[in-house]
Amino acid sequence: MIAAAWLCLLAPLAGALAITFGGQRLSRRAAGWLSTASVFVAFGGAVVAFFAMVGRDTAAQRSELSTPFTWLSAGTFHVGMSILVDPVSIVMMLVVSGVGGLIVLYSIGYMEGEDEERRYFAYMAFFVFAMLLLVEGGNLLLLLAGWGLVGLASYLLIGFYHQRPEAVAAAKKAFIMNAIGDATMALGFFLLIAKTGTLSYGASFAAAPHLSSTTVNLVALGLLGGAVAKSAQLPLQTWLPDAMEGPTPVSALIHAATMVTAGVYLIVRTHPIFEQAHHVEDLAAGLGAATLVIAGLIALVQNDIKRVIAYSTMSQIGYMFLGAGLGAYANAMFHLVTHAFFKALLFLAAGVIIHHLAGEQDIRQMGGLKKFMPKTWLVFLVGSLSLVGVPPFSGFWSKDAIVATALARGGIYGWILFVAALFGALLTGIYTFRLFFRVFYGEPSALVLEHAGAAHGDHGHGTESATGHSEHAHGEAPQTMALPVAILAVLSTVGGLLQVAGAWHPFGRWIAQTGAPLVEPTTSQDWIVSVITVAIGLTGSWVAWAIYRTGRLAVPSAPGLQRLFEHKFYFDELYDAVVSRPAQLVASRLRTDFEGPYVEGSLVEIGHAGGDAGGLVARLQTGRLRVYAFAIAASLVVLGIVFLAVR
Amino acid sequence: MLTTALIVVPFAAALFLWLFPLPREYASAFAILASLVEVGLWIGGAIRFDFSGGLQFSARHNWFSDLGVSYHVGFYGFSLWLAGLTVVVCACSIGYGVWAGREHPRAYFGLMLFLTGSVVGVFASQDLLLFYAFFEAMLIPLYVLVGVWGGPNRVRATVMFVIYTMVGSLLMLASIVAFGISQHTFSLVDSGTSGNNWIFLGFALAFAVKAPLFPFHGWIRQAYTEASPEVAAVLSGVVSKAAVFGFIMIVLPHFPGPVHDFRTTILVLAAIGLAYGSVLAFRQPDIRGVIAYSSLGQMSLIILGVFASSSLGIDGAVLQSVTHGLVSAAMFLLAGMVERQWGTGEFARLGGAAKGRPVLTTMLLVAGMFTLAVPGSANFAGEFLILAGVFPLGWGYAAVGAVAMVLAAMYTLRVLSAVLHDRKSDAPDVSSADLRFGQLALVVPLVACLLALSVWPNAVSGHSFSRTPNLAIFQYVHAGPFQTGQVHMAGK
Repeated sequence: MIAAAWLCLLAPLAGALAITFGGQRLSRRAAGWLSTASVFVAFGGAVVAFFAMVGRDTAAQRSELSTPFTWLSAGTFHVGMSILVDPVSIVMMLVVSGVGGLIVLYSIGYMEGEDEERRYFAYMAFFVFAMLLLVEGGNLLLLLAGWGLVGLASYLLIGFYHQRPEAVAAAKKAFIMNAIGDATMALGFFLLIAKTGTLSYGASFAAAPHLSSTTVNLVALGLLGGAVAKSAQLPLQTWLPDAMEGPTPVSALIHAATMVTAGVYLIVRTHPIFEQAHHVEDLAAGLGAATLVIAGLIALVQNDIKRVIAYSTMSQIGYMFLGAGLGAYANAMFHLVTHAFFKALLFLAAGVIIHHLAGEQDIRQMGGLKKFMPKTWLVFLVGSLSLVGVPPFSGFWSKDAIVATALARGGIYGWILFVAALFGALLTGIYTFRLFFRVFYGEPSALVLEHAGAAHGDHGHGTESATGHSEHAHGEAPQTMALPVAILAVLSTVGGLLQVAGAWHPFGRWIAQTGAPLVEPTTSQDWIVSVITVAIGLTGSWVAWAIYRTGRLAVPSAPGLQRLFEHKFYFDELYDAVVSRPAQLVASRLRTDFEGPYVEGSLVEIGHAGGDAGGLVARLQTGRLRVYAFAIAASLVVLGIVFLAVR
Repeated sequence: MLTTALIVVPFAAALFLWLFPLPREYASAFAILASLVEVGLWIGGAIRFDFSGGLQFSARHNWFSDLGVSYHVGFYGFSLWLAGLTVVVCACSIGYGVWAGREHPRAYFGLMLFLTGSVVGVFASQDLLLFYAFFEAMLIPLYVLVGVWGGPNRVRATVMFVIYTMVGSLLMLASIVAFGISQHTFSLVDSGTSGNNWIFLGFALAFAVKAPLFPFHGWIRQAYTEASPEVAAVLSGVVSKAAVFGFIMIVLPHFPGPVHDFRTTILVLAAIGLAYGSVLAFRQPDIRGVIAYSSLGQMSLIILGVFASSSLGIDGAVLQSVTHGLVSAAMFLLAGMVERQWGTGEFARLGGAAKGRPVLTTMLLVAGMFTLAVPGSANFAGEFLILAGVFPLGWGYAAVGAVAMVLAAMYTLRVLSAVLHDRKSDAPDVSSADLRFGQLALVVPLVACLLALSVWPNAVSGHSFSRTPNLAIFQYVHAGPFQTGQVHMAGK
């Protein structure tokens, strides 16, 4: 089991290194296949490890730590280079390498003809490695290492189109916001080391109940800071929509299916700490609820197809935070898995559309695409129904479980969270089908018609291969793109059957081996909530249908709210005014008003006063170098003779 | 023997270059050869080194027995790492000098080798007067290298540098004499402790200037931008570590009382320097200015670790010394390559370098990620240990460190996009040549060391003091107010 897990971790790293060092000797296509193969090898390792784990009986046997050497130590503080394979990490390994492999495969078709394809595929393999390090890392410091490296991969890939200033700015923003999260996590770790002397999972979790409540709350708060930054939750959410500047497969892999859900994994992984910090748990759930509502509202007014899906991602991760904060670890992880399927599907389908329309992302330029892209229409419908939570698609099973958990928590806070989750379901229905109808129905725009004609001839991408081209004759995508989309569509349809409320709980029991749920809804609560949630989701879809398909309803006129949503609740403006500008001002003023005149300036005065010294040095440059060198040598010799003589 | 060879080889090579009129090619080749021999000697030593054995490879000859002065050299675990940093960085810098084709090659390479030998001598010294001699011998070639081969404002830069370091050196000489006479020996191994605040301050000030520590950093901006890139690389990467060595070898073990009294003052100054350097780095108009102030921040961080009086802090400080030395040298050399191609290091006239230059882009990105200490890198490991070590003395220090982590991301990414991405309208058109093999050979060893240390940072942190907890001179560290593992939660 452990050997397979190591293979899973190291294969993508080997792929990334091979592409980096191969350089120009590798053809672009070979780089793509190498990257894909390395990620699928990782998936194979994960599958082998999974079946080995299933073959073991007890939860204790199913959790295995492997430490080949000490990564970092000082005094009695040790951090091993260790990986932990247990039921939670194996789920993440399967999702990361499986969905990752499909998306890298898709990229072969999508990135064809781009400049610097090799760089792209090296980064993608590196990302998968970093993400696997994050989920397999066997102690908190290695988790933080993976945490930082996925941030680096994300930075590199968001800024992949480095000639576009927007992409570079978005990459910087993402990195810096994540650095804030890294810093709060590190602070939490410093406190943990001071109090327990260790960062290993086992020892620090065992010590958590013995810590003072202030300590454990602060540690949990530090962890939560990292989680909200990585998962784009309030208040560190503003980087995610901008991250859509990266290539679409990157958005699918990093900014939907895997990296942004790392915060949820973190809470589940460190649940023994969070369980001692009730206020921070409630805060996590509350931030999740607030994010799912706010992101849903913003998604209503976005016109960029990728940004709509990005806000939807924020919103769905809000559900996961809600579940994880309430202690429903299995439900949160379940939604993480199904979301990885259907959100990757939506992004990849959107990528097919963008690819087809030669890069256009504005949904106002689309319309009537159903006629020209029937297969894409079908898979997009599957993804949308799953996102809205319509049975039997996967999102139905997982989202309802979280909403039911909020109801089961009870109390005023539980009711607030419950209502927020239901409101979020309504918003999901509206924004999802607004997008769907805008893109696929209505009159085809000029742009769509132009590209529909082009599908039979030149496609705008000059160098299509023979197979790719024949696929294009059908008007959609090359096989490397179509196959992953088809597989994800199947997974989005049936993936929810991992768990059926009241009847079948293999997934819940599996995760419970690592973290037993704190709150569990009863079967009746489950079914009641399901009926309500589906009804609300369908209502939302109907509203979208009435507005955007039939025009029976008008868009409600509320210019103030509209502006608020369009400006994303003014978070960017707020941070700019409160943090960015003052910091830059302070830095500039320090430089001109303190460092210059006082620290450096005082010296200049002395320098002028001691003009002789300046003159002496000035003479050095007039070619008397040899004299000077001789002087040094001579003085050393004299010094030596004096020392010897005195002795 | 080995230690003496490490010191003598570069001095002898320097003397040879000065005395014999070799043509440029031979002089260059000879200098590179000498620096590689130095690296080879060090590797041979490191392989045979016993990291749990205290002082090793030592040689001792009485010089003035009545004064208690001796030629006494040798290495502890931590100083072996500092010496390793020296030989690697100096070899790459000499290589850069060859590539850049400096004028007066014999004088120039002789001085660089002389500098190498002096710095190794500083790290090997076990006698105060010997330490002083090497410390001064290290400064003289620097004055000349900055003053003669520097940029347009080199005179001013040299004057500032000379004034600062001369003041520091004189104070240190006075302290050394006073300390040695009161102890009846200049040996660092034999001498005991002193409670004299004035002697302590003489040493502390000299090292505070050298490091530099806020507010004694007035010379760095000029010196780091006016010196030629390879000299700046040695200056910030290696020479600054002489201060770390001085604090660890002289100040901590021999002045426990004053260290205790002044610890808070030094920690506060270091914390201010960390924040101040990071903030100023964010508004610098050119690459080297950013590296200069970033170095101020990083050196302050190392001083925080040295005075954290915990094994996390001091082991982290040694690790951070090595990683900062490597990365700041790599950044200065890369900055030099950019400046040569574009004719400027100012952000306002750079940009768009990434297009068509995959190798330069990769090297700058990798070096940049080590500069900002991305979690998972060796630089992060050192920073993490230091801040975790100083945390129990006051959470405020760690909080400043956390803010500095974010600032480091901000100023480093600013450099990367200013050079690689944002194309300015008045940027000069230059040939789109990427780095060639020769240039790569100068930077790749530094980056490779950093990558290797990221895989196994414990090579340094776990092989400095951890294995010799009973060493007399490091009792201070282990008797500090904070010991890890107070709550006994064993396990890895």
